[in-house]
Amino acid sequence: MSDMKRRDVLRYSAAGAVTAATATLAGTQALAGPDRSDLPEDRRTDRNKKGEPWDPRDFDEIYRGRRIRGRHVLGSLLRGQDELFVGNKKLALTTISTLFFPADGSAPYVATGYISAVNHYDPVEIDNDRRRDGLKRLGKKIVDILGDLELSDESAKSHQH
Amino acid sequence: MAVVRKSIAAMTSAEKTAFVNALRQFKNTPANGRTYNWYIDQHITYFARTSDNISHAHQSPSFLPWHREYMRLLELDLQTVSGNPAIFIPYWDWTGAASPFTADLLGAITNGSVSSGNFSPSWGWSVYRSSISTSFLQRRLGQNATRPTATTVNNVQSFTVYDQSPWNSSVSNSYRNRLEIELHNRVHNYVGGHMGTREAPNDPAFWLHHCNIDRLWWLWQNNRGIDTYVPRTGTTSGVIDNLESMRPFGAGRTPSAVRDINPLGYSYA
Repeated sequence: MSDMKRRDVLRYSAAGAVTAATATLAGTQALAGPDRSDLPEDRRTDRNKKGEPWDPRDFDEIYRGRRIRGRHVLGSLLRGQDELFVGNKKLALTTISTLFFPADGSAPYVATGYISAVNHYDPVEIDNDRRRDGLKRLGKKIVDILGDLELSDESAKSHQH
Repeated sequence: MAVVRKSIAAMTSAEKTAFVNALRQFKNTPANGRTYNWYIDQHITYFARTSDNISHAHQSPSFLPWHREYMRLLELDLQTVSGNPAIFIPYWDWTGAASPFTADLLGAITNGSVSSGNFSPSWGWSVYRSSISTSFLQRRLGQNATRPTATTVNNVQSFTVYDQSPWNSSVSNSYRNRLEIELHNRVHNYVGGHMGTREAPNDPAFWLHHCNIDRLWWLWQNNRGIDTYVPRTGTTSGVIDNLESMRPFGAGRTPSAVRDINPLGYSYA
């Protein structure tokens, strides 16, 4: 896991942000062709829909054969209202301020992390100066936990910490 | 009757059988006005901040007394439903070699659906309010985290301050928070599957794990003082004070009331 985290550490310069945004868009366009009619209208996080602002960190991609989609909601306080879908199921998110313990044994630090019904004891750090891909890393973690199973409706029920 | 909670490493075959059979019986038969699924409901409800704006069960000082009371009730219900007052919750010292995931205890399948053996549907176990769409108990041992080592345990046990403001998951110099994150959370994630979810008590490993957490707290109390819970008095916003009742356990079930395990009817071997 420490190796993954190290690779994930991207210090974003302005140029880096543009590059990443372009890469994300390209990934989306590659997926835009396939039929999305299997999804109910309100469950599509299609950033190309008119009037819906999108964030360069949003994503819609396949990870280990599973479709993961994430949308950063504008003005979301500490990112707790961000949206994550695995397949066509939504996962309710909340955020907590918590200690993180780096795997390399360096000193713990406080940051904000996403938790959900599924990764309830394993917060994933939100986007900040240390990491820029929190929601996507959460999406991948959830797929790793699910294996070939789906989220249930229970996982879409929100709660507060 | 007072019971001695033993390590899974010290349990006899008969004790293991009695324990798992009592769990199965309680899954299907109410006792003392409660059901097994009531425990899952309470865990989900009190994990979140409730309408009183208090975090009763997690990410707060009352994490340890809340689970002490929660387990005391379950132990009582298992004794009642089985008619066997000798039933006890065993503890799983995850730093040791003994695993609870054996055919004669919690079932030997640890890499996905528990589809046969103890705690499978055909054995008589069902999952309740699962956030993962499945009828099988899920485990993914070691996929997401490793077990804490004895060194990590010793380091956590050496913290002298029980807890302090802001009384949540961000406190660094806090025995409660270090125990909760570095040991408790980590083992939930080590077992994985349902143990990593809000509805973790679906997996009976929950009780063996929390029994060890409670044992570590009791060892700590024996070093640092039994009456060491903070905040002591008053109405600290958003947390349970020493003399404040913990929901859903009712009036008088305060951290102070559960600080000493001897009157609660159990001890640790």
